[in-house]
Amino acid sequence: MAVGVRHFVKLKLRITANGLRGQTWRVALFVLGAVLAACAAVGGYALFSLPGLLDEQRAAEVALPLAGGLVVLGWLFLPLVFFGVDESLDPARFALLPLPRRTLIRGLFVASLAGVPALATFAGTLGMVDSAARLGGPAAALVQFVGVVTGILLCAAVSRSLTSAFATALRSRRARDLATVLLACVAALLGPLQLAALAGAENADWTGIARVADVIAWTPFGAPYSMGQDVAAGRLWAVPVKLALVLATIGLLLWWWSATLERAMLGSVGRSGPRERAASARKPVAQLVPGWLPRTRFGALTAREMRYWWRETRRRASLITFSVVGIFLPVFIGVSSGTVGAPTGMLVFVGALAAVSLANQFGFEGSAYAANVVAGVPGRLELTSRVAGFSVYVVPSLLVIAIVVGLAVGRPETIPALVGMLAAAYGVGLALVLPISVRVAYALPDTANPFALSSGGGMAKGLLTFAALFGAALITVPMQLVAFLAHDVWLWAGLPLGLLYGGGALLLGLRLAGPMLDRRMPELLATVTARQ
Amino acid sequence: MTVPHQRLSPDPALALRGLVKSFDAKPAVAGIDLDVPAGSFFGLLGPNGAGKTTTLSMAVGLLRPDAGQARILGYDVWADPAAAKARIGVLPDGVRLFDRLTGTELLAYHGLLRGMDAEVVDQRSAELLDVLALGADNRTLVVDYSAGMKKKIGLACAMLHAPRLLVLDEPFEAVDPVSAALIRDILQRYVSGGGTVVFSSHVMAVVERLCSHVAILADGTIRMRGTLAEVRGGRSLEDVFVEVVGGRTATGSELAWL
Repeated sequence: MAVGVRHFVKLKLRITANGLRGQTWRVALFVLGAVLAACAAVGGYALFSLPGLLDEQRAAEVALPLAGGLVVLGWLFLPLVFFGVDESLDPARFALLPLPRRTLIRGLFVASLAGVPALATFAGTLGMVDSAARLGGPAAALVQFVGVVTGILLCAAVSRSLTSAFATALRSRRARDLATVLLACVAALLGPLQLAALAGAENADWTGIARVADVIAWTPFGAPYSMGQDVAAGRLWAVPVKLALVLATIGLLLWWWSATLERAMLGSVGRSGPRERAASARKPVAQLVPGWLPRTRFGALTAREMRYWWRETRRRASLITFSVVGIFLPVFIGVSSGTVGAPTGMLVFVGALAAVSLANQFGFEGSAYAANVVAGVPGRLELTSRVAGFSVYVVPSLLVIAIVVGLAVGRPETIPALVGMLAAAYGVGLALVLPISVRVAYALPDTANPFALSSGGGMAKGLLTFAALFGAALITVPMQLVAFLAHDVWLWAGLPLGLLYGGGALLLGLRLAGPMLDRRMPELLATVTARQ
Repeated sequence: MTVPHQRLSPDPALALRGLVKSFDAKPAVAGIDLDVPAGSFFGLLGPNGAGKTTTLSMAVGLLRPDAGQARILGYDVWADPAAAKARIGVLPDGVRLFDRLTGTELLAYHGLLRGMDAEVVDQRSAELLDVLALGADNRTLVVDYSAGMKKKIGLACAMLHAPRLLVLDEPFEAVDPVSAALIRDILQRYVSGGGTVVFSSHVMAVVERLCSHVAILADGTIRMRGTLAEVRGGRSLEDVFVEVVGGRTATGSELAWL
């Protein structure tokens, strides 16, 4: 019997259903996610059908490609930063089956569409068909429907191929070099970006935006979402060209995905051989614990965490993603918003985002945590050392971010206060995230892809991330108020105030989460142990 | 070094009372009472899925029982975990090690985690790595170790702090004969020095060779227990085991297509 696409879809649905069975909180998360996605879909539909309702042909031509481009961009970045990809169908599991690669890729691709995010995106973008129908009649609607379908295919292809390629790159020994190059690129981009954004902000008028939209409509990002308007405007010749453009892009992305997938599948069976490391003549304890840490339980735990943040792909991926997003986002927003002054709100986001990396800290190492349970490590000590090990990487990054942002917005005198704001947000974020990491940990699948999550995990991760970010924004409101209302005071008081605020919050969080961990160590171990 | 001395009371090394555990309403362990005398070499036998790992996990504090008690050298594992856990070394099965560390780093980690002095950790780690033929200057990450090497480094981690009770889950699984002989020697020396070993296995030859006491576990209950001679009763342990567990033997008519 030939293996068809529907077998993959059925398998994926079955795995999703089995993952929910008997786990009340997972069902609740899934339902919550579905409801949120439905709201987003309805909102998107309303938004995208607005130009048609208002009968604004030109507005539709400008707004739809722009919005569509944003949707594709979202599919590109959100999985990397927030959600991860649902890899309930782990490609490596198919390595031993006699399947042609084409069948495998087609099956995995279609199965990746059978999920809540893809359905919600599709339903939301159908609003564009509505618009096209009102503006250009049934022909335009039909063309736009084709466009929307290719659009969702493009979204899925983009997110699959990019996470897979990034995962392959991170696994390799050159990952460190890649990270350095990425950071350097971002840093190098800052200058030209600043100029471009400033220029854009100055001529931010209707014609400028319209010209940008016309260009985007001819890129794969906007093309699928501008076809219907082309029909409505009588540019029938544009439709086949755009269709060909989008289909070619999808084809290329799938080809790229299949190439990286092949490598990933081989990688999971025969790794590239054990890593050769130079023999060390140092004593065992000195090999583990660096000289500046005490040679105690705390030192050992912290040193192990530091090693793990660099040696484990999943953690390294989240560190690198954070560093890139952390520098890129505030600078981008700060420069392009055009207002004088530092993007304080963005920094709160960045500080809290750093802490969010610890939201599932026990899930990273899974059942290995048993060693600490058997040794009876007290909860407070466990959490303190984990925060310390992570902070070894994050605190320098936050300092760099503050300096870069201060210089980029042209206000170097605000740098100390920016550091204070970041410290407050990081501390508050940690205080929120530590109890979360103890109470709602979840097992991560044992695959080679650091962005992979078992089904339902993406929802949990996304929701917890947003909850922590929102909470941190809320709790740092007093800090932000001081920064906003008493700017002169904030310049010199920001640093000590922020350190106190963040430090106090962190102590509170540790005091709360430590005993919580003491009470539920075995339960935590059970939840982070991947079910076989 | 702060390893506590064995109390001079006649407490058994490990005492389980009425341990019960169910997963999703399916009973995995249905009421186990077991005494492991101090100084014994105790084998816990059972077919796959009998509840060996579940029982040992509850005994060492890795899994909270639905009901029942576990005492280690007189200390209740669930009421006084710190005192109980300080006295045991554990080699869990099907549980990952902190495998992104090198073997040497992993040993140092376990030593410091047990509150040992850095000097003692250095000295004992070097000795253990040498005896177990893992190489004191080997900088390979544990994740790249072979299955047998992983067992050996796990055993080294469990023994480093010289506990009075060793609980080992399937210590001989995936271990080659040379390493197995070495592990046997080390464990025998440990028991003759006054330590107690509890280990699970379904390899009868190993159990017959090593154990002073055995218990046979099937479907979550203890079917038979006692000294090796009592349980065997003059027959081979394998015959007793298959009879007690109630295995089936192939008649030859099925699987004809093979």
